Amino acid sequence: MNEDRLRTQLGEAPVPGAEEAERRGRRLAEAAFEQRQPRDRRPALPRLALSLAAATLLAALLLTPAGAKVRGWVDEALTVGVDDAEPALTEIPGGGRLLVGTPHGSWMVQPDGSRRLLGSYPEATWSPRGLFVGASSGHTLSAVEPDGTVRWSLSADAPVADARWSPSGIRIAYRAGRALRVVAGDGTGDALLDRAVQPVAPAWLPLGPHLLAYVDGEGMLRVVNSDSGESVGSSPASRETAALDWAPDGSRLLEATPRALRVRDVAVGKLAAQLRLGPAHRVALPIGATVRSAAYSPDGRSLAVLLQRPARNRRPAHSELYLMDRDGATQRLFFTAPGLLSSLDWSPDGRRLLIAWPDADQWLFIPVEGRGRVRAIGGISQEFAPGQTGGGAFPLIDGWCCER
Amino acid sequence: MGSDSAERKLVREAQRGSREALTDLYAAHWRRAHRAAYLVVHDGAAAEDIAQDAFLAAIDALDRFDRRRPFGPWLHRIVVNRAIDWSRREALRRTVDDAGSQADASPPPDAVGEDLMAALGQLPVDQRAVVVLRYLLDYRPGEIGRMLELPRGTVNSRLRRALDRLGDLLGEVER
Repeated sequence: MNEDRLRTQLGEAPVPGAEEAERRGRRLAEAAFEQRQPRDRRPALPRLALSLAAATLLAALLLTPAGAKVRGWVDEALTVGVDDAEPALTEIPGGGRLLVGTPHGSWMVQPDGSRRLLGSYPEATWSPRGLFVGASSGHTLSAVEPDGTVRWSLSADAPVADARWSPSGIRIAYRAGRALRVVAGDGTGDALLDRAVQPVAPAWLPLGPHLLAYVDGEGMLRVVNSDSGESVGSSPASRETAALDWAPDGSRLLEATPRALRVRDVAVGKLAAQLRLGPAHRVALPIGATVRSAAYSPDGRSLAVLLQRPARNRRPAHSELYLMDRDGATQRLFFTAPGLLSSLDWSPDGRRLLIAWPDADQWLFIPVEGRGRVRAIGGISQEFAPGQTGGGAFPLIDGWCCER
Repeated sequence: MGSDSAERKLVREAQRGSREALTDLYAAHWRRAHRAAYLVVHDGAAAEDIAQDAFLAAIDALDRFDRRRPFGPWLHRIVVNRAIDWSRREALRRTVDDAGSQADASPPPDAVGEDLMAALGQLPVDQRAVVVLRYLLDYRPGEIGRMLELPRGTVNSRLRRALDRLGDLLGEVER
């Protein structure tokens, strides 16, 4: 092989999409550079937290205008949390109802804080108006009324996971093993949609016909009409995609991986026969951050992103909540706390975020606009492990739904 | 790319917060970094990710960067090592998934270099990486060895095998 010829050809071989990639890379680099704060000029952040000296110091910062006090310290035992947390869940700030998952099953929490164990379902999801809960356990998918009455059940030939109710309320998509299936909201017409998909929850287009986005077994992001089975759009998915979320107007599709967020523009054609998935634009995130959760607000104007940051430069591991515009281009660090914040849910009216803080055994109800204070509810593990001493595994929030 | 002293100046100014300096560094290095990644992984989306990650890592480490060292080799080391890691993971994933499908690598849009790309794709990733470092980025075998933490002799033998194989493959194509 002639070396000069090799040099020439390596330098001239076309690189697909090079110009667009260069533009995207520049935007990303500039955004990351803007976020970077040179060490010697790093501004002091508003520090509403207390930090007590110890061999290692935990800094707890709370940047919300609501200004609750967050405490973190190292002692013989590590204790973190909002220091004026309410001892029990006596109401849901902002109203609505919660679905909560525990090792013992799914719970429904009413606006007044009262709760009911729906059954031993490891996973549950709201129907769009909160009239039913789609609950799965083993190979069974059930539609359950809020009082726990099972309206219908079906048995699949593989473990059921990631049930998602369509916005119309008349379709449920779910995974059964590696397959993706769809069933009518009344439990009839169960049908196979794709034999092999990746373990990512499917996501319904919020508007219009029954268009469902998912990642197939080959790593392609696909959007199909679940009624006809026709594919209306596809594009290579981001690698390691773990979650999909549509903006409420259907104009954006978010792909979350453990290390990155990407947002695609989406154009839906007339009658939704075709749908154009634009290129995935990467959202600039702090280096080394792990994406824990990301979700569009109900009005679609904001994107909330929960990141986990490793210990670095004498700052211990901590979590950060960002509020971004819907493309992730403008970002505001909204809340930060020591340890792990594990889940994020918007209230139905979009005025609050519910964040789970397992290290503190607390839930945080955080107002995102206007005035108001952060309300922290403590002792969450015990709330959902009645009769047990010492509490149980930290409950997961499976959804925050509308008033009934 | 400008001289070493000009580049050191850009790094210093970027460390002080100059966005223009960052933009100039980006303009000087992006295309070669992106091309290098693509030639190793043969996947457009992955190459873009790898080049982006390398620049983000560079920006993150800017405060700690030793200005006496050249910026390019440092960036290229990140790019090529990540490209090798990605290719190995991808090979493993394909084995595990037993997908039997083609890579989602986008083929080059025209015939220029198509034969070479096809031939490069036949090489083991370790050989592709040394070929790219030697003949695209113009590093010497000793420098490549330091970047990949390999003995120089290993670099030379990989280069030799790669060139022989490319010659065979391209000869077959040209017949």
